[in-house]
Amino acid sequence: MKNITSRAWTGLALASAATVILTGCAAAPTEGAGPVEPIDYLACAVSDEGSWNDKSFNQSVYEGLEKSKAELGVEIADAESATPDDFGPNLQAMIDQGCDITIAVGFNLVDAVNVAAEANPEMSFVTIDGWSNGATNLKPVNYAMNQSSYLAGYLAAAQSTTKVVGTYGGMQIPAVTDFMTGYYYGAMAWGTDNATDVTVVGWDPATETGDFIGDFVPNSGTSKTIAAGQIEAGADVLFPVGGDQFGAVSEAIVEAGIDGRMIGVDKDIAATSPEYAEWVLTSAEKRMTLAVFDIIKQIAVDGGAFTGDVYLGTLENGGTALSAITNYSGATAQADVEAKLAELQAGIIDGSISPLG
Amino acid sequence: MSDTTETPVAGRGATVIREIMSGGATRALLSVVAGFIIGAIFMVFSSEEFLAAAQYFTSRPTDALGAAWTAIAEGYSALFRGSIYNYNADNFEASIRPMTETLRFAGPLIASGLGVALAFRVGLFNIGASGQLLFGALWATWISTRVELPWGLHLVVAVLVAILGAAAYGAIVGFLKARTGAHEVIVTIMLNYIAAGILTFFFRTPELLREVDGGGTPKSDAPAETAQLPLLLGPEFTLHAGFILAIVGVFVYWWLMERSTLGFRFRMVGHNADAARTAGINVERMFVLAMAASGAFVGLAAANQALGVRAGLTPDIDGSIGFDAITVALLGSSTAPGVLLAGLLFGAFKAGAPQMQVIGLAPEITGVVQGFIVLFIAAPPLVRAIFRLPPPQKTTVIADWWHKLTTRGGAK
Repeated sequence: MKNITSRAWTGLALASAATVILTGCAAAPTEGAGPVEPIDYLACAVSDEGSWNDKSFNQSVYEGLEKSKAELGVEIADAESATPDDFGPNLQAMIDQGCDITIAVGFNLVDAVNVAAEANPEMSFVTIDGWSNGATNLKPVNYAMNQSSYLAGYLAAAQSTTKVVGTYGGMQIPAVTDFMTGYYYGAMAWGTDNATDVTVVGWDPATETGDFIGDFVPNSGTSKTIAAGQIEAGADVLFPVGGDQFGAVSEAIVEAGIDGRMIGVDKDIAATSPEYAEWVLTSAEKRMTLAVFDIIKQIAVDGGAFTGDVYLGTLENGGTALSAITNYSGATAQADVEAKLAELQAGIIDGSISPLG
Repeated sequence: MSDTTETPVAGRGATVIREIMSGGATRALLSVVAGFIIGAIFMVFSSEEFLAAAQYFTSRPTDALGAAWTAIAEGYSALFRGSIYNYNADNFEASIRPMTETLRFAGPLIASGLGVALAFRVGLFNIGASGQLLFGALWATWISTRVELPWGLHLVVAVLVAILGAAAYGAIVGFLKARTGAHEVIVTIMLNYIAAGILTFFFRTPELLREVDGGGTPKSDAPAETAQLPLLLGPEFTLHAGFILAIVGVFVYWWLMERSTLGFRFRMVGHNADAARTAGINVERMFVLAMAASGAFVGLAAANQALGVRAGLTPDIDGSIGFDAITVALLGSSTAPGVLLAGLLFGAFKAGAPQMQVIGLAPEITGVVQGFIVLFIAAPPLVRAIFRLPPPQKTTVIADWWHKLTTRGGAK
């Protein structure tokens, strides 16, 4: 204790010394060098367990911050959480920093961010995939992922030659099973339209049972085992809902020697992970980058007031969507399938089709 | 005692541990200094300003040196702001909050560090603090969320159950070692996985510990108010009585290891199990008792983690405490005051990490510093070389062992 104190005091002394040195050499090359004028608005984010470059939802949010910095000129600060113990202190660090808006990424932070919002009613918070226990300074950002997943399921069934399609999740939580349920009913809808039996392995929304890895560790052995098991059961299109599982699935496909496909989640996997592109059929995108950017822009630039109203990403507002279809080789022509998907999308938007069965 | 040329193979692991532990305060302090220097180097090379200025280092070296200086100073002053005193804060509460956070994080680190330290003193390597913590936390959560007891009694029972649960889980290791000779390192590592599995199963099953009205996530209810460790400094601060538990643990550990008969037997087994057996000590029984006592201290950390929160628990409540405990015990030379100071230092690292992240430093830097501290502790000759310390007394076990290894077959 004593020695860290003394060292930190030394650090302080060094800081002042360094300031003196720096003022002498006029080094401020990057300040204001960007295309936009910096504005006095500090946007902050705290990650869920895992890092910002997880190729999945943490990264999507972080890209939203960076986009805001580049295009709007806001300042940003961030903290990654390694364990749940970090959630509270990381949020506190943002509060101490005086952030104008603090984005808590992920369902796991929901308790911590609600506590922080209630303790700091003058500050603004956003919870991605979470909810507010009543604090009006906390804005939930949610996604109707069943909508785009429904389209993904329909496409998967059209692509499949075995008419068996698979899906599995990271953990059995609503933010994950929402994808899987939409996918299930989408695949079933193709079966009904074409009077063909379609089997979905890995998730049954009626009994709420299915295949789950148990965590969100990228490409774990368990993940690959589940993927291989589903291929064994006949599935030739897989939809892994658990962050970056695409290495595990592509390996399972290659090792089984089948002409398989997988469907990405959260981001357009064919674009963000080109190494897997040859197996990607499409991706069910959760466009958090867009939501983060829009929320920050609305307040920091357009002068709107912060509200605790829920932002719900849907097919209608473009918060969620299917990425461009690649590697399609189903029996029906791709153009016909795309036309049908557009029709289904319109039906979901106007409410005539329910992606939840 | 110092003549160890005929150390039996079975006792060699224990003596190497003892040699690592016996480094003393100077080496521990110098290891910390070396760790901070390495941390500074990482900060400099992760500073964009430095890397930019380094490209024209030869033409104007002051830029690069200034940027390096700034990176180090900013990094360590952020650590100071986050862990000791926030001199930028607007009010008194906010300015001293970092210190209270350091104490809060230090609580479970000290407690579990004591557990690992106790095992070290008996010549056992307890890698299983993580599993013991989870197992203790599991039963403490059962008491705190599924049992109704009056105020006061509820907390006492919950803490005791945490200690007993962790102790029982530790005793399994001692029992397996005593009865079957199974190596405690293997057994504790495997039991970590088993504990994590059991806890997840309990937290996932509605009939067991899953939160009422919860979704599919493995998560428990928040502990009942009567079973929560009370806040020490009011609602403004998260520091809770778990830190007091850890301090009590430090005194108990000191008395147990330095003053009690049982502690004397523990240490004797640690020094030389064969000699202890000859002296009439039941070594197998000591293994079981030592692992149970080791688990009991880890149980204090379990109480900290399970009862020091106001929200539901998730299966990863052990965080990295189980493994940080090993580094705490190593840095603290397995002595009561050493573990206390080492726990406070690593608690400060944990508390300061968010502030370092806010100014743009990678969160891994404090982990790197911690890792290097342990590396220096475990590699005494390296520290001696760096700081030009005098060589240790001639007959160290490692030197003897090395000598025997390299001269085997030669004349005796």
